[in-house]
Amino acid sequence: MKLKKMLTVGAAVFGFAALQAHADTELEFWTMNLAPKFNNYFEGAVAKFNAANPGLKAKWVDMNWDQIQPKLIASIAAGSPPALVNFNVPWVHEFAAQGNIVALDEYVGAAKNVYSVGALKDVTVNGKMYAFPWYNSVSIIAYNKDIFAKAGVKAAPKNFDELVAIAKQVKAKAGVAAFAPKLDNFEGWFYYAGLPMVQNGKAVFNSPKHVAFVQKFADLYKAGVFPKDVFKMAFEQEIAAYNSGRIAMMTTAPQALKRTETDAKAIYDKTEVAAFPTDAGQRAFGAWLMDFVVPKGTKSPADAAKLGLFLTSDEQQVAFSKATESTFPSTKKANLDPYFQAGAKSADVVERARAVAAKSMDNARTLTIPPGVLPDGASMNKKLQDEIQNAIEGRKPVKAALDEAAAAWNEKLAK
Amino acid sequence: MKNSSSYTAIAYLFLAPALILMGLFTFWPVGYNAYLAFNDYSIAEATATWNNFAHFKYLYGEELFHSALKNSLLFLLVVPVIQVSALLVAKLVNNKLPAMTFFRAAYYIPVITAISIAGVVWLNVYKYDGILTWFLQSLGLIDEQVNWLGEPKIAIYMVMIFTFWKGIGYYMVLYLAGLQSIPTEVEEAAILDGANAWQRFWKITVPMVKPTILLCTLLSTIAALKAFQEVVVLTRGQADTYTALYYVYAQAFTNFNFGRAAAAGLVVTFFCVLLAVLQFRFFGEKK
Repeated sequence: MKLKKMLTVGAAVFGFAALQAHADTELEFWTMNLAPKFNNYFEGAVAKFNAANPGLKAKWVDMNWDQIQPKLIASIAAGSPPALVNFNVPWVHEFAAQGNIVALDEYVGAAKNVYSVGALKDVTVNGKMYAFPWYNSVSIIAYNKDIFAKAGVKAAPKNFDELVAIAKQVKAKAGVAAFAPKLDNFEGWFYYAGLPMVQNGKAVFNSPKHVAFVQKFADLYKAGVFPKDVFKMAFEQEIAAYNSGRIAMMTTAPQALKRTETDAKAIYDKTEVAAFPTDAGQRAFGAWLMDFVVPKGTKSPADAAKLGLFLTSDEQQVAFSKATESTFPSTKKANLDPYFQAGAKSADVVERARAVAAKSMDNARTLTIPPGVLPDGASMNKKLQDEIQNAIEGRKPVKAALDEAAAAWNEKLAK
Repeated sequence: MKNSSSYTAIAYLFLAPALILMGLFTFWPVGYNAYLAFNDYSIAEATATWNNFAHFKYLYGEELFHSALKNSLLFLLVVPVIQVSALLVAKLVNNKLPAMTFFRAAYYIPVITAISIAGVVWLNVYKYDGILTWFLQSLGLIDEQVNWLGEPKIAIYMVMIFTFWKGIGYYMVLYLAGLQSIPTEVEEAAILDGANAWQRFWKITVPMVKPTILLCTLLSTIAALKAFQEVVVLTRGQADTYTALYYVYAQAFTNFNFGRAAAAGLVVTFFCVLLAVLQFRFFGEKK
């Protein structure tokens, strides 16, 4: 008798729980590389969203950036993709061109005007909005004051040619490599200089202007201004080199300074920051917009969009920037929040870096070759990178290297 | 009274768990991959369309794939070196001397070390101002700092040395098992007959571990042709170290051209099978 009663109660509880679980639409959203550092922010955001939207249940899943695409592809193929996925801009264009993500205009309506014009352009493909712009960042220059003083450098560079001149001076007078620009995707440098990659279906990166621009890098490499293995250096390696005093400048996202602060206090105390100058392209260097996309086949795109708008709202974006201390919102209003300029005169370098970078945000664009233009992007970029590396490391004249890469591109583009 | 067919049935019953798992996770993917190689596959619609060998034609004219395949075949140079060394090391640690367990463990540690961690360590060894440069400079063998993983002429050999270091312990253990199955009487008899160490190694050890040699050579050949992880952690394909499987990976997960990736994978498989057949001819038991 007792057992029967227990079973009935148990079944009732279970049934109720099952009903409850059934009633809530689960909205899983994936982010890249934000756990465990920002657990507090996301737990707060999820709780807030769930409280404001009965019947919807947001669920945060964080993963390493290189897992996102394979896992998403697998989940789309299996018919169970998440509601939102954290993408960068090139991925948005790729996936939109393949039809693997959903256009958002019908779900967003007028709300799309909250985002800054540049950010919105970044995520627009064929006139349609394909992602919710989220956080962004730009590069700054963080320099070691002692090394600059030793080299007799008085002021931070105002344009790219000044940066080149200062870098040469640092190497010549202080005997230290000046900086380690990220060269693993040279395309970004061409855009920075306002130089096009492909025009009218042809590769145009072997023009005299392109050659002259790459030649600057080759000259700097030859003079020892860059570390010998600069092509192998990514975010982590650049920070390590700066923290050990082996390069005079970091040209990187402001959050790198947080690492210097914890890992190399002595260097941190000698660090000053300056804006990374713009060049002919009028682009802030190193802008890299993060966003959320809605994968094709997600259960409820309208609910997914609701969560997307919430996570990228003014309020949430400012809160997230405060949590990271070094990224910037992509909405018009959020970037005007006093928080970003409050540290302009602060004694703390990280706060000054934030103020410096926030000022560069107006020019923030994430530019890449439009999708569908390159028939075999992986191989073509590999070819271009190999040739540029040969040119900069002095194994080939710049002109010859760019000519060869352009010829290989045009052969594929003509097909 | 059991008849032979019920024995067969029972045998298959015991094989079933393994066969089902292998079928699901090995044979089916291999078969599906072969199918994709002849199709244009669209992820969005999950449809595959026959394309009249277009992928293979593309690969035939694709310079990057050729150089990737060349690098993968070049990687085969590791095989004889690692096999001879592993056998010698196995022979050395097959002695009953104090601390032998320590040496066996020491040689095996690289095998169980995660490749990403080993990669970080070796990046520092190979850095232009790293340990290797320092070591060779202090011996007076080189003057200039060498960017070991950045020079296209030498980078791939540096990756091979890493593969050698990472893999030798694995084959050593296999050879050790082979060596320990050699009856001591045979060796003792040879000593009584006056055979020296060199003769005993070539006339007794090598012939008696021949099945193990076949196995190890086969495994390391396949591993060499499949070289990918070591390239990812050390060079990311820079400096002429791009291998065939790197190409496969890039086509699948950068380009999302799964059909072409499958076709390239099939070409690599072809070379694997070809080499396996050759090795069976050389080392296999003749009936």
